[in-house]
Amino acid sequence: MSLAATYRLGTRLFWRDKAMLFGSVVTPVGLAVGMPVLMRHVTQDGVANATAIFHSTIAILLAITAFMNIVVALTSRRDQLVLKRLRSTRLTDGQILAGQIAGTATQTVGLILLCAVTVRFAADVPFPPDPLGFAAVVVAGSAVLSLLGAAYTAAVPRAELAAAYTMPVFLLAGVSAGAMGPIPLPSWLRPVLDLLPTTAVVDAVRTGDLLVPFLVLAGWAVAGLAAVRLWFRWEPRRS
Amino acid sequence: MTAIEVNGLRKSHQGFEAVRGVSFEVAEGEIFALLGRNGAGKTTTIEVLAGFQRAGGGSVRVLGHDPYAERAAVRPRTGIMLQEAGFFPELTVAQTVDAWRGFTDAPRPRDEALELAGLTGRSGTRVRQLSGGEKRRLDLALALLGRPDVLFLDEPTTGMDPQARAATWTVIRDLAATGTTILLTTHYLEEAQRLASSMAIMDEGRIVASGGMAETLAARGGRVAFRLPAHVRTDELPLPVTVADGLAVCRAPDPDLAAQTLLTWAAERGLRLEGLEVRAATLEDLFLELAPDARSAEGARPAENARSTEDAR
Ligand SMILES: Nc1ncnc2c1ncn2[C@@H]1O[C@H](COP(=O)(O)OP(=O)(O)OP(=O)(O)O)[C@@H](O)[C@H]1O
Ligand SMILES: [Mg+2]
Repeated sequence: MSLAATYRLGTRLFWRDKAMLFGSVVTPVGLAVGMPVLMRHVTQDGVANATAIFHSTIAILLAITAFMNIVVALTSRRDQLVLKRLRSTRLTDGQILAGQIAGTATQTVGLILLCAVTVRFAADVPFPPDPLGFAAVVVAGSAVLSLLGAAYTAAVPRAELAAAYTMPVFLLAGVSAGAMGPIPLPSWLRPVLDLLPTTAVVDAVRTGDLLVPFLVLAGWAVAGLAAVRLWFRWEPRRS
Repeated sequence: MTAIEVNGLRKSHQGFEAVRGVSFEVAEGEIFALLGRNGAGKTTTIEVLAGFQRAGGGSVRVLGHDPYAERAAVRPRTGIMLQEAGFFPELTVAQTVDAWRGFTDAPRPRDEALELAGLTGRSGTRVRQLSGGEKRRLDLALALLGRPDVLFLDEPTTGMDPQARAATWTVIRDLAATGTTILLTTHYLEEAQRLASSMAIMDEGRIVASGGMAETLAARGGRVAFRLPAHVRTDELPLPVTVADGLAVCRAPDPDLAAQTLLTWAAERGLRLEGLEVRAATLEDLFLELAPDARSAEGARPAENARSTEDAR
């Protein structure tokens, strides 16, 4: 019930922050819809290319709408001492974070589904053959990326640096999922990049094979939980 | 019953010992004032008591529990007004209170909380548009939402106008009258003197004076002040006085009696004691006497006084 309250609050604040909406909704959705539409109409093998690029852009949606968004929200609330105020209520630390993570994950899932429907009609990208499996991996991926974003805030010294600190993560996720176009990578790097949670989600969507991606996501979830427990900071650093 | 027990509390911040062995108790339904200059360690003490930080040494108990280790048991029964905390600037006052009601068991109705804090007319205003004092009132409204048994107020009236401050005093008194235990800090010594039945004065992490407000002040006696009549030497007076700028000040355990003695003496000689002022000791007298910076400046002229405190910075 308190979890529901923090969830509702997180969601409401998400849709209210106009400046943030541009970065965390308009831009990634534009990419995830625009690039497949472009591919569909300018390339020979339009539908196949559009489908491939749409699958890759899911990594971008996860990196921006889930990861970057929660890093920005939590660091700014930490630095403005809002997290501290939330902790002065009956809410437990777990409820505060879980509410925020669930909220961010929900927005991300919603946007990915919205994009999947849009590209179906705008670029003939077929619906996934296994809708349940698709939904499951999208939900799991959004939740894990939101959790990892919460853990990552410990590394961000100040809220103004949140976007800059998430940029490398965003680039890594995009490149390894192929969303930045074909970039030549050394052969030993490929298996490493395949272990990224964003790549795991894209692979699952692309191949329909769920087992390995779910194991990868589970590993990241455990790491994320441990990192939050060990290092999460509720107040700005004063040194 | 004792609601708050602090025993030999120590707390360091990155090697700097902000609280160095502090002990006091607050009884249920009592208003207790924690006083001291900037940096004395008041906020650190409150944050340990409210469970934000772990005690570095010694022990603290709030309602019989360790507030840090047993936060879940203590939090629902406490209300906190932090010295500094943020709001969601985009939400209105009413939305903020509603959101916080969702985090509270059996919360007060929104209108009741706004009424208590004197914010009824501002419920539709966005928090970012509130004035400093209004934000402080919203702080109070949120702290009171859960009808707490123990209330921690860290400088509750800072930034409030005189009316708001008086209204807040009434709220605090009413809460104490219905059994709420209140620990407050303030730099307004008059506020502490009016509200609190007990107090402790901290300096550099230690308690330098503490006890019941009335007893402590009564024990300090009071003072009688008057213009020293022309051609009267101080050794002619029946009581010892100190003179500064022609103003004679007599400190006495019973200032009324001292005034009578002085007036009788003056009447016998046909003298007038102009500007006669009799008053009991105030918390401010005590505070200034205990604070080392202020003590060195006491008795100095205002101009020198200002310069010397500036030098001390
Ligand atoms: N997180 C922190 N890191 C480093 N030093 C700190 C920290 N918190 C407090 N201090 C130091 O501890 C001392 C006590 O601080 P505290 O905030 O408890 O004082 P205070 O009595 O509340 O003062 P004020 O009246 O100004 O609010 C100060 O010297 C302060 O610089
Ligand atoms: Mg303080």
